[in-house]
Amino acid sequence: MAGVFAVQAQSVTASGTVVDSESGMPVPGANIAVRGANQGAVTDFDGKFSISNVSTEATLVVTYIGYQTVTINGVSSEPMTISLTQDAAQLDEVVVVGYGTRSVKEVSGAVSVVSSETIEKLKPTRIEQALQGQVAGVQVTSSSGAPGAGLDIRIRGIGTNGDARPLVLVDGNVISELSVINPSDIESISVLKDASAGIYGVRAANGVIIITTKSGSKASPLKVQYDAYGGVQETTRSLPALNATDYASLTNEAYVSNGDMAYYSNVGSLGRGTDWQDAVFSQAFTSNQSIGVSGGSDNASYSGGLSAFTQDGIIGKDKSGFQRYNARFNYTVDLRLPDGTPTNFKFKMNMLYSKTNRKTLPEGGIGSVLFNALNMAPTYTLRDASGAFTRAENMPIEVINPLWQIDATQNKVVADRVSGVFGLNYKFWSDFSADVNYQWNYTEVRNRSFSGVNDFGSEGVADKVFDTDVAAYYVEDSFYRDYTFDAILSYEKTVNDAHNFKAMVGTSVFKATADQFAFVGTDFAEGTNLGNAHLNNAGMVNNNFQTRSNRIDDSRLLSYFGRLDYNYNQKYLFTATVRRDGSTNFGPSNKFGLFSTFSAGWVLSEEDFFNNLVNADLFKLRGSYGVLGNDRIGSFRYTSLLNGEGVYVFDNQLQFGVAQGGIANPTLKWEEQIAFNVGVDSKWFDNKLSLTVDYFKRKTENLLLQVVTSGINGPSAPGSGPPFANAGSVENKGLEVGMGYNTSFSDSLDFGLNLNFTTIDNTVTEVNNSLGYVSSGVGFGIGNLVGPSRMEVGMPIGYFYGFKTDGIFQNQAEVESHPSQLLLGSAGAPGDLRFVDVNQDGVLDEDDRTYIGDPLPDFTIGLNLTFNYKKLDFQSYFFASVGNDMVRNYERNTPLVNRTTYDLDRWHGANTSNTVPRVTTAATSNSVFSDYYVEDASFIRAQNMQLGYTFESGTFGFQDLRVYGAVNNAFTLTKYRGYDPTVTNGDPLSAGFDFGFYPNPRTYLLGLNLTF
Amino acid sequence: MMTKFKFILTILSAVVLTISCSDDFVYVDSQDVNSENYFNTEADYQAALIGAYDLLQSTYLNVMLGEIASDNTLAGGENATDVPGIQQVDDMIHTPNNQQLRDIWGWMFAGVNRANYIMEFQDKIDFPNKPSVLAQARFLRAYYYFELVKWFGPVPLAVDKRIQFGEQFTIDRTPVADVYQQIELDLIYAADNLPYTQAQEGRITKGAAQALLGKAYLYQDKFDEAAAVLTNLINNGPYNLLTDYSTMFENDNENNIESVFEVQYTDLEGAGFGCLQCSEGNVAVGFNGPRSFVGPYFESGYSFNVPTLETYEAFESGDNRRDIAILNIEALAASDPTVSYGEGNEHTGFFNRKYIPRQGDSNIGDQNLTNPNNYRSIRFADVLLMAAEALNRGTGSDTDALALLNRVRRRAFGDTDHDVTVSGAALTSVIWDERRLELVGEGHRFFDLVRTSQAASKIDGFVPGKHELFPIPQIEIELTGNRWEQNPMY
Repeated sequence: MAGVFAVQAQSVTASGTVVDSESGMPVPGANIAVRGANQGAVTDFDGKFSISNVSTEATLVVTYIGYQTVTINGVSSEPMTISLTQDAAQLDEVVVVGYGTRSVKEVSGAVSVVSSETIEKLKPTRIEQALQGQVAGVQVTSSSGAPGAGLDIRIRGIGTNGDARPLVLVDGNVISELSVINPSDIESISVLKDASAGIYGVRAANGVIIITTKSGSKASPLKVQYDAYGGVQETTRSLPALNATDYASLTNEAYVSNGDMAYYSNVGSLGRGTDWQDAVFSQAFTSNQSIGVSGGSDNASYSGGLSAFTQDGIIGKDKSGFQRYNARFNYTVDLRLPDGTPTNFKFKMNMLYSKTNRKTLPEGGIGSVLFNALNMAPTYTLRDASGAFTRAENMPIEVINPLWQIDATQNKVVADRVSGVFGLNYKFWSDFSADVNYQWNYTEVRNRSFSGVNDFGSEGVADKVFDTDVAAYYVEDSFYRDYTFDAILSYEKTVNDAHNFKAMVGTSVFKATADQFAFVGTDFAEGTNLGNAHLNNAGMVNNNFQTRSNRIDDSRLLSYFGRLDYNYNQKYLFTATVRRDGSTNFGPSNKFGLFSTFSAGWVLSEEDFFNNLVNADLFKLRGSYGVLGNDRIGSFRYTSLLNGEGVYVFDNQLQFGVAQGGIANPTLKWEEQIAFNVGVDSKWFDNKLSLTVDYFKRKTENLLLQVVTSGINGPSAPGSGPPFANAGSVENKGLEVGMGYNTSFSDSLDFGLNLNFTTIDNTVTEVNNSLGYVSSGVGFGIGNLVGPSRMEVGMPIGYFYGFKTDGIFQNQAEVESHPSQLLLGSAGAPGDLRFVDVNQDGVLDEDDRTYIGDPLPDFTIGLNLTFNYKKLDFQSYFFASVGNDMVRNYERNTPLVNRTTYDLDRWHGANTSNTVPRVTTAATSNSVFSDYYVEDASFIRAQNMQLGYTFESGTFGFQDLRVYGAVNNAFTLTKYRGYDPTVTNGDPLSAGFDFGFYPNPRTYLLGLNLTF
Repeated sequence: MMTKFKFILTILSAVVLTISCSDDFVYVDSQDVNSENYFNTEADYQAALIGAYDLLQSTYLNVMLGEIASDNTLAGGENATDVPGIQQVDDMIHTPNNQQLRDIWGWMFAGVNRANYIMEFQDKIDFPNKPSVLAQARFLRAYYYFELVKWFGPVPLAVDKRIQFGEQFTIDRTPVADVYQQIELDLIYAADNLPYTQAQEGRITKGAAQALLGKAYLYQDKFDEAAAVLTNLINNGPYNLLTDYSTMFENDNENNIESVFEVQYTDLEGAGFGCLQCSEGNVAVGFNGPRSFVGPYFESGYSFNVPTLETYEAFESGDNRRDIAILNIEALAASDPTVSYGEGNEHTGFFNRKYIPRQGDSNIGDQNLTNPNNYRSIRFADVLLMAAEALNRGTGSDTDALALLNRVRRRAFGDTDHDVTVSGAALTSVIWDERRLELVGEGHRFFDLVRTSQAASKIDGFVPGKHELFPIPQIEIELTGNRWEQNPMY
């Protein structure tokens, strides 16, 4: 019987092992699907799989997250070995979203990721610097460039007048002091910017930053990495202070202008005098060494590291120095029974230890070292004829010889921190996963400061604020403990290959306590100093906690939360979260809050109609909306505690009584934020170009304002203060654009560019404290009215509130024809600033104050450029801020202090100047707070520029060896006359007031990276 | 041999047991004592009483400004813009936006609230010393309200209850007469429930209450009531004039026989500019001190509150009070070559010698803020002069008035040759001038001039109908809902 008969496809059992192409180790959990048929399997712990009844013509599709997909056409009954290659591009696509991970495709919120390569190249000394200029919407500023000083992170503008810090989690653990982490231990940083942070409920309003530390990978050989760098720092800037001759002639002019005799009779012979800034700034050394190990066996992985960092200060060298020692160990293991049977338990343990030592000099205020260097007259020499430090005899009461001040300052802070994370994960019933995590922190901070007998001014006279007759030793020990316990149950199911569900419910418990002990000892023997001082040797010891409990904090959070994700074919995405938080900080009538968020996304690049129109590799449209909260309002503000100060004297002895502390408000609750975001994620040209655009609007209500309350409530009693009330609201809206472009020009030349651009418009929308505004507590100048900045309805938060000027009076006629300025301090005279009568009532008084600038930028830009040419690599990072203003607040307005060169342009006769007023010792209104003191602090900074060379693998026996040179903070372009336009006070209401901030240094580094 | 099942069960149960938490977890009481569950023992009342005394130390500002506002002294300071609020009060150009006036308002009301805190819980428990505690609290309340009514006129009166947050929006300014009425009631109670001598130095006594009551009557022109209580005090109290006036204001002669009420200060604790009202030292003393002083006996200060030449020359020759009250620094420097000093703003060559820093104190912290000189709030000399004035201007006899006045004069001159003999309106005038000479530098002059209608003729820039009262701080009017009217002409 000849004839055509169809070849009958046979059915066989397809089986085999899936392995990693690089290590050859088996890959458990890989997915093998039979295309077109509803058949499939998942590899077991040994990488093995078996599917029966598979047609020999079937195509197998093998997938696993982080690896390239493999398709096999045709199946035989022979067991096969399928090799999977790690997919570098796909690895970037895993995003941590809080209590879980997602692939970039599935995320419908605004989440940005900073990878470990970027962090390595930036070489930050602190984590916050790894975010500076890297992520759209994230602004990082410092309040000081001193070694060890903290940085302030703000996500999407300033959302509160209180604590605007985002929640930072390291492996799930709440960490507030970021110096604990060594940046080279970081695997990735996820920034949750919009309502997707809502899974963290009442702590999410300022955004959430999730840091994951390196954990090693299973089945990999021991890898040892050593990184080291060392370098020199110098100041980026020295202000142009006057030399002795110019200083003396200007000072004489000031005296004469007030009808007094010229002060200096020897102007011609003074020469250049002393350059105090030069004396105070010095080059300082910094270095960092870290060693990391990682590896894994087939059921465990580990990663650990040690590092030592040291940085001296450009002012005072080791007197403002900082050292940090870190140790870290991460360990993850799949638990097996003694006989080797795998259980479905996975255990992880992350431990961190850090020790920091820090010394500080007075900075950032009146009487700080830089303030003194600027104001100290150049006619003084550094030391006098006998070699002792020169006395600042005719300088105002807080100006002293800054070199002497550095020498006399003795303090140190030692902090030891231990953090741990223990986690247990259990997978059961194939779709369920349960996690239990215990995260904890313990910190000890020991603060010691010694002030000897000081006499900085005229000998034997107590004419300086810093003069002390008796030595004093300040001892403060603080102990902080906290833990977070969370338990989560997750469920994942795919229905019909297309409907993907993920559900998660969980509970979390957080408790933090802190204890503090502080003593002041006075009257020590001569020769005592910080090294040998002891409270037992003091003539008298005062206990600062005599009438107060040593427990300075006890706060807790109890939460229940849930999240539901649904996506159809990874094309239509929906996520909803809800969370109930209870906090000890809230008053009894408002203990618990409910927060919920919703987000959705549409991956247009999965739609055929879209692919026909536009050739994008990824195009996703997404939006989110939700309610988040902020609970950082301090403990127990809703009740009135007797922790005020009630001290009197009977029988010539101090008597310690009792008094109310801050005034109470029992209805206190959290700040609530409504966050809206709409955005597009897209990738083009074979993933070479990525473009993300977001528009956001977030309105924070119930802002906790310490409402200035009437004096009749008693808030100015010693130890008391105004009450808090939920009385304000502020709105931030803006646009974020992030663009990345990576390409190769040829085999040997690669180029990468990363640009982010953010605009934020900040407006205060409500201030319900019967004034309509809140004045900052910061004063401008000395003895002036408080309130030079405000939080006021309709204006940006922290805007500067002062007088507008309109040139200078050139002659007496102009003075006469202008409303009298007497109420501002003194009537005007030729050469004085002319203030604008803003409300046009014919009188110049406090009501003529108005908006004269604000510290918030109109937009910020970050730019990274990288080039790789054969073995050379070059990277550079820039960031810029435009539209932020700062207030020049470091000039002391008294007759004999030094000035800067712009004072040489002062008015000294008709039409000699219309911008800088006359110099005089007479009373004038020129030192009231006006736009004369407000400057544009827009800037562009070259944050890091690095050139490196990678040796051939195997050179000197190392697997990888790279050497590099770098300059941090190479240059800053700005019109701002102060030291550093990037340094500003982190408190929203007093930001931008420059008291002489310690500037960020420029650092020249050489370093190497080694891998064994 | 553990099976997989048992292993799982063990771990899960361990987890479940450790996790359960109820909502009560977040209800935590602070370890610091709560203001509403206090006053359970006598010790609690005594501790709160010390808290109420505390604000007495902040009255240094009232004393300083009370001199500067008058014709006794000029503001001084380092330069013409040193503390603008003080400079403006000196020149009578102060406005409702004045930091120092706001401080006085705030600190005095802080004191009122602390006294009222005790009075609010006066019935909670009983103990034998309670009348004494309440008497001291009521004296303090009266003292603070007396300051407030002198400086600002009609002020909101709160009796036996703190002014809680929220109440400031409904409370009104109370007329001056009603505030004084409460002051009188408080001081009468205090006088009836306190002894003339207390075990601890610095405690309020019956004499203090009577003296302050007399002063309150005098300020209201209630001359007969004033004369009555002051004469009672003079006859029954343990007080007398110090024979050696030169030791009156020295740190080793505090709480002496002439001191009827003295605000206590000490140098045992440091202070800073951040909270001047917290200082346990007398801040005014550092402010009054001569600038950059080098020499024996005194220490330097910020050269505020400098007496004028006219004040110096107001003393007759032979009046030994002049050189105790006023330091003539040029003369001192001329006689002692180790002395040197600096010249501050409005340098007159004179300083308020009663209250400038002396050597010998500990000088902890900022030395200028922690001087231990007590403030002699009410001296027996003041009591004598007030009684004399009350007898003279009321229905009392001028002979009795002269007897009291001449006691003061004899102590001042050391002889009887300078006794006064006039009567009637002439005597009134002499008493008023004598008050200036006796009490210069002690903070009373401005208010004496105002209550005797002499201010307009003696003080430059004084506008009658306006400057008798100081303006309520503008921000305080705003913070209570913009309901109060400002004092006239401000």
